[in-house]
Amino acid sequence: MSTGAPPHLDGIDGEEVLRVLIADDNDSDRLILQTIVRKEGHTVFTARDGQEAIALFREHSPDIVLLDALMPNVDGFEAARTIKQLAGDNLVPILFLTSLRDAASLADCLAAGGLDFLSKPYNRIILHAKIKAYAAMRRLHETVQQQRDEIALHNDRLIHEQEVAKQVFDNIAHPGCSSASNIKYLLSPMAVFNGDLILAARKPSGGMCVFLGDFTGHGLPAAIGAMPVSEIFYGMTQKGFSLQDIMLEINKKLKLILPVGVFCCACMIDMSFRKRSAEVWIGGLPDVLVYRANSRQVESLASQHLPLGVVDNSRFNIESREVPMQRGDKILLWSDGIIEALNAQGEMFGEERIIDVITQTENSERIFSNIERAVEQHTGRLEQDDDYTMLEITMVREDEIAVQEGKPGVSSIVGGPRDWSLVYELRALSLKEFNPLPVITHMLMEVPGLRPYSGKLYTILSELYSNALEHGVLGLGSEVKASADGFARYYEQRTAKLEQLSSGFVRFHFDHRPRADGGSLKIMVEDTGPGFDYQSKQLAEHQTETYSGRGIPLIKSMCQSVRYTGEGNQVEVIFNWHADI
Amino acid sequence: MNPQECHIDLVALQDLKDIMESEFETLIDTFINDSNKKIEELSLNYLNQNSEELRKSAHSLKGSSSNVCAIKLSELAKQIEHRARQQELAGIDALIQALDIEFQIVAQQLSDQLIKK
Repeated sequence: MSTGAPPHLDGIDGEEVLRVLIADDNDSDRLILQTIVRKEGHTVFTARDGQEAIALFREHSPDIVLLDALMPNVDGFEAARTIKQLAGDNLVPILFLTSLRDAASLADCLAAGGLDFLSKPYNRIILHAKIKAYAAMRRLHETVQQQRDEIALHNDRLIHEQEVAKQVFDNIAHPGCSSASNIKYLLSPMAVFNGDLILAARKPSGGMCVFLGDFTGHGLPAAIGAMPVSEIFYGMTQKGFSLQDIMLEINKKLKLILPVGVFCCACMIDMSFRKRSAEVWIGGLPDVLVYRANSRQVESLASQHLPLGVVDNSRFNIESREVPMQRGDKILLWSDGIIEALNAQGEMFGEERIIDVITQTENSERIFSNIERAVEQHTGRLEQDDDYTMLEITMVREDEIAVQEGKPGVSSIVGGPRDWSLVYELRALSLKEFNPLPVITHMLMEVPGLRPYSGKLYTILSELYSNALEHGVLGLGSEVKASADGFARYYEQRTAKLEQLSSGFVRFHFDHRPRADGGSLKIMVEDTGPGFDYQSKQLAEHQTETYSGRGIPLIKSMCQSVRYTGEGNQVEVIFNWHADI
Repeated sequence: MNPQECHIDLVALQDLKDIMESEFETLIDTFINDSNKKIEELSLNYLNQNSEELRKSAHSLKGSSSNVCAIKLSELAKQIEHRARQQELAGIDALIQALDIEFQIVAQQLSDQLIKK
């Protein structure tokens, strides 16, 4: 920013009043020049030699300097150099007063920082024109400087804002539990501004959901969509909502907030380690690959849906694919960055190359890094300047997953309800179309210290609820499930009976009491079914290893006690927990 | 008027007078005093055969005399400056003498201008 005084426009003929420094050792010349410049309406400072000129410049920082070339003590050339230095970034036009005519001397004047000459004898008209021209030049320079400073300021602010925004984005769109040992991923540090997103979270049931998203566009517009996606994903996954529910919610939100033409290509995978299967939904992303550990073969899953945020929920297809998976099988997915990575000849890396890398890799642990390296070799670029997003998730046993998710129970034990009871009754209409488990889990997770047990509690609740609904209210016999095609028939019956349902209820009673190092949760589930002869049946049926009997022994292994009461349509479990698991 | 006889550009001098107004008298006094000193310097530099200093004083006199419209004086100073730059000091004393005489004429004419006013 200029340090000079602001221009005054109240000089003669409304022209800018300048502060002009004149240095000339010749008294009569100085007197003439000073008189002419003063008559133009400007303020004049006069010096007899270069030294005086420098001192006056320091003191008054004038707008324009008129310097005689040949002066005693410090001559004009040296004075010009010093003044230029003092002026720094500011433009202070220096005009040499000279009757020098030879080219070499004139060149010296310019080399010393002079912009022009005024030759003797002085001509009033030329002097006026030159002062005017250089004053305009000075103003222009000042404007440019101001604009430069303004741009620099804006740029600083923009960068600062981006840093803050990135922090906020990173906090919200964090990769969740993607540090889990069965997940590998590649995500540029500035990915959020590339529109790429990876999210991963454990489910209350013990499974894991991962999400890879690729927003159209770049920069802030692409990044903005990541925030609601992340919030919905983590919020709903934690509460046990299904993949369908989560995708519907995300699509609804994105359709609402994103402008036309901005959308999110995505894939969501719901991994169940117990069922050994993955539920996969793909909308607009390149083919997702399934790697089979045994055969070392690769299967492609093509996108079947539109990206998120394109159509509203009434036309949004949430149909997903169930992919059975063996231990060691992997799902690999990426945004189009990797597929479309160009080499020097302009060829894309392409899916074929990826499949080659996968099938030629002996040790499946190296698949991910080999793909990474192959892309680097293809493009000839270093890792740090890529913007690829890639994700690998491996089917493992649930207990093989090591994640640091913070110390449970320690800080979370403070605050929240610890001593309470609740009855929650679901009647026919609700039983038909509402899944109460997310709501119940969410409520239970409000109990301080109980969150680390969410997986167990979800399992217990879902077993108790499906028993009460299916065997109790709907009166389905679990024997059906025992046969090979029984499952399908069982679910047909279940659907049909649910449709006809007009009365009955499932009632949950919760009672939570604090204990010294944790708490005790009593869950009673009551239904309007006829009940059963639990005295004799309990052992015979529920201890078998068949599907139909799996529920109760599992619950028993997780709870302090499981007890049937009444007609056999009431079951009560007690779940004791400790703050330090 | 014969150019040889033209010591001062009177039209230009009238302009200068208009610009300087009350300062005109000071200017003329300053010029005469200054030039007296410079011509002394000039002669001294010639005696010392210091062509560089001679060039500088001639250059200065050339500029200041041109500013008061003393065209012939300025021309003589210019010739001396030129010779001094070439370091051809031989015969320059004639020029210095002519310059001294011209200055006396110019000083007289300028002083006359003051009285005229």
